[in-house]
Amino acid sequence: MRKTACFLTLLLPAAAAILEAQVEYYARVGAVGGSDLVRDAIINEITVRPSVAPLLVLGGSLPVGPSGFRADLEGALSSGKYHSRELGANTDLGTLRTGSLTLGLEGPIRRQLRWRLGLGVLQYWPADDQGVFLEGGATRYLVAAGASYRHPVLPKWDLMTSLQYDFHRFTTDALRARGFSQTQGVSRIALSVGLSRRTR
Amino acid sequence: MTPRGRWTVIGLSIAALACSDIAAPLRSDFYEWRLFPPSASGTGVDTLSFHWPPNRLPVRVWVEDRAGLPEDMDRAITTWKEEFLHREFDAIRVSDSAAADVIVRAAGAPSFQRSRLRLLSALADQCTGATDLAVSDDHRQLLLPVRIFIDPGFDQTIPGLEECLALTSIHELGHALGIFQHSTNPADIMFFNPVVALPSARDRATAEILYHLPSTLEAVGP
Repeated sequence: MRKTACFLTLLLPAAAAILEAQVEYYARVGAVGGSDLVRDAIINEITVRPSVAPLLVLGGSLPVGPSGFRADLEGALSSGKYHSRELGANTDLGTLRTGSLTLGLEGPIRRQLRWRLGLGVLQYWPADDQGVFLEGGATRYLVAAGASYRHPVLPKWDLMTSLQYDFHRFTTDALRARGFSQTQGVSRIALSVGLSRRTR
Repeated sequence: MTPRGRWTVIGLSIAALACSDIAAPLRSDFYEWRLFPPSASGTGVDTLSFHWPPNRLPVRVWVEDRAGLPEDMDRAITTWKEEFLHREFDAIRVSDSAAADVIVRAAGAPSFQRSRLRLLSALADQCTGATDLAVSDDHRQLLLPVRIFIDPGFDQTIPGLEECLALTSIHELGHALGIFQHSTNPADIMFFNPVVALPSARDRATAEILYHLPSTLEAVGP
């Protein structure tokens, strides 16, 4: 036990140095739009949908194995309006913020073009606890897939463009309490541009 | 099952899971909220239905500062707001009665009735309530303000008065938001002599449905 601890203690700085040398960090800004969160029916169909919202993405990746595969951790924040729609008329429901954290795997497609698959969680933070969020926000599992393109602009800096699709199933405590059964499949698409920095 | 068949089943299951929608509850258990007075034209009846349109929200409510009525009415506003999923109703308390859509007084309804329609309720010993609706002669307009009277009586130490005032506030605001009739079920807050503290699922379904059907009355003034 003691030997193992000593070994790990000695190994840790070396591993950290290797990992740090190959880390890529990135930050992007963009926009995200999504499909309906809720489909209700009270005489007419009523849908609740978030508006297209500004997006901030921060992440970092490490190489895993050969062939250019990398594992990454990516966080994204968005803040925008959401509204209900009935017979073509929209009603503003306030501000809705989302935050997601995904663990991903990325790999090369061709030259600077790379694919990415991710799994994680998505948190909804409504500005006001009301309506479908009467009992607060919701946390949902998320799957994501996308592609990014990196264009070198400086020795260690790339201009990074990313198009990402993600999917989750939506419901809230308030909806369940009201008798809504099952969950709503929600698709989102995000387009973002930013900079990535390689440490080596 | 062959590996290919297994993957097909898995793929179809994922697709079915991804494509299925949330299932909204049936709002089939509700009660009549509309009034049916003799027709303005002289034959048959007219249907009087009203809800506050989005362009008049939030509804402005003035409340007389007596017997804890402002706090009761704040709770009543919050209670009804929370019954709706899609922000169909909203209200705020205002300090100027001249600019109010709804006026709430801590007094009995006056014997002189200016309004065409009076909805009496909460006939318990502790307190009483009434809502006066002024409807135009042609039954097309609801002339604002809607007037609510909540009478705490003379003896304000009587047991159960606070509870009575609280539920009567919710009940009368229910009339002001458009539930013009009483429920026949004592489990509903809109029962003519309410005994429950909060709206029931039937009250909620009734309010939701009335806010998604056209009004026959148009709010006019102040």
